[in-house]
Amino acid sequence: MPRALWNGSLSFGLVNVPVQLASAARDLDLHIRQLHKKDGAPIEQHRYCSQDDSEVDWAEIGHGYDLGDDKQVVLSDEELASVQPEKTRTIDVEAFVDLEDVDPIYIDHPWFLVPAGDSQGTRRAYRLLVEVMESTERAALGRFVMRTKEYLVLVRPRDGLLSLTTLLFHDEVRPTDEIAPGGRKPAKEKIEQAGAVIESLAVDWDPERYTDCYRERLMRVIDQKKKGKRVKAPAEPKEPKPAPDLMAALEATLERMGSGDGKGDGRRRRSRPRAKASS
Amino acid sequence: MPRSIWNGTISFGLAHVPIKLYSATESKTVSFHEVHMSDGARIEHRRICSKEGKEVPYKEVVKGFEVSEDEYVVLEKDEVKVAAGARGKVIELEDFVPEDQIDAVFFDKTYYVGCRDDGEAYRVFREALKQAKRVGIGRFTFHDREYLAAVRPLDGVLALHTMRFHDEVVDAGELDVSIPRKGPSKQEAKMAEQLVDSLHSRFDPKKYKDTYREAVLDLIDRKAKGKKIERVEPEPLEETSDLLDALQASLKGRS
Repeated sequence: MPRALWNGSLSFGLVNVPVQLASAARDLDLHIRQLHKKDGAPIEQHRYCSQDDSEVDWAEIGHGYDLGDDKQVVLSDEELASVQPEKTRTIDVEAFVDLEDVDPIYIDHPWFLVPAGDSQGTRRAYRLLVEVMESTERAALGRFVMRTKEYLVLVRPRDGLLSLTTLLFHDEVRPTDEIAPGGRKPAKEKIEQAGAVIESLAVDWDPERYTDCYRERLMRVIDQKKKGKRVKAPAEPKEPKPAPDLMAALEATLERMGSGDGKGDGRRRRSRPRAKASS
Repeated sequence: MPRSIWNGTISFGLAHVPIKLYSATESKTVSFHEVHMSDGARIEHRRICSKEGKEVPYKEVVKGFEVSEDEYVVLEKDEVKVAAGARGKVIELEDFVPEDQIDAVFFDKTYYVGCRDDGEAYRVFREALKQAKRVGIGRFTFHDREYLAAVRPLDGVLALHTMRFHDEVVDAGELDVSIPRKGPSKQEAKMAEQLVDSLHSRFDPKKYKDTYREAVLDLIDRKAKGKKIERVEPEPLEETSDLLDALQASLKGRS
């Protein structure tokens, strides 16, 4: 069980369930560190006071807010924690919504909510919440505060547990009205031809089809370097120019792909959108 | 017009769509800087050599990877670039998957995609994608880092989401949580469903405001006026002892 990042309770009507938060994503990045060229020793970040030039301990650091005109307000951890403390302890369910109404643009980070403590009562209430959201196919919408930030959260069942997704607030999503949407409405045949290309590349979503090539390549470079070899970067490829005749490009794509069964390697299956995702 | 952060091309088959990327999200959290409490001076982060204990100027910094404890391999700038791959400025969409099959746990960051020319190919692609109810999956290189990306129609334009790889997603089974084998009683399940129904509403993101953010600004204001800030501990919530009672009382409270 990974370290819990938040402890509190999930409250639904008058039902309170003590829960803990655990991340549902793990960091598999290969972390590149800063080293001192001269002696190869790792570099550490230390905090110094810009005025007295001395190193400052964590406990002596406050939160400064600029008011302009060289004026600032400084808050201690304690003072900052005085803001809406109940929200730092409780996820209050405000509504139940349909999952498909929540656009992925609002998604911030995935977590699991797991029951805290050993009480059987907690675990029974937890299981009831999982089951009722499974049977009604709805997700709970609530809010809470973690590390001095408020999040709108979506709680839903995932493989027998409750998952929690932190969401962005509406004003944290930028409007689309200044993004160039393209030219006039295109001719029907062009859309159909592009649709045929999309269909010929259609598969079911299978996350295991995709591995992190970046991580693999970086590991190879590190291995080579370990053996004392120098690795050279390839020249950046030229960016393809859009075809002057889009229709011809789409037709040529379809021709190259044959009758729509892909590149003939047998891995591509045609798939149809499903009415509901299974998880 | 917002500033674009990346210019490139989305390719599917032999068709190429010239595009620009824009940030789609921005944090509105009240931001603070670190201050030394005793004199109110700003805190600086300094690079200190762990061996010498002395500050290191930026030009003496190299990048390295720890291959075993305390053993580092130094990587030159162009060597890190090798890992970025040879895709350059092209996002080649290899697969098109039904949009309702992707679980929310895979989505990471979102960008908007705008067109970079007369927009014919962009518009054709967007319309076709929308009609197919599919999302294009491909790879995207940004700041010498390769990402898995999903491209989908959104609000009259296109959105690009960077995606988590399957091994970066934690499965429920890995958490080792014991859930009682016996499920809730019929009555408990029924009442819980009634409660869910009574709280059902359509998700409207505009309805929810970050009130905490306003409360922090209010706190800053009070502190600036020299008011004393006190922390009031909230009463801890009691764990529900009788589930059925609590459900009944909740339903009563709503009718």
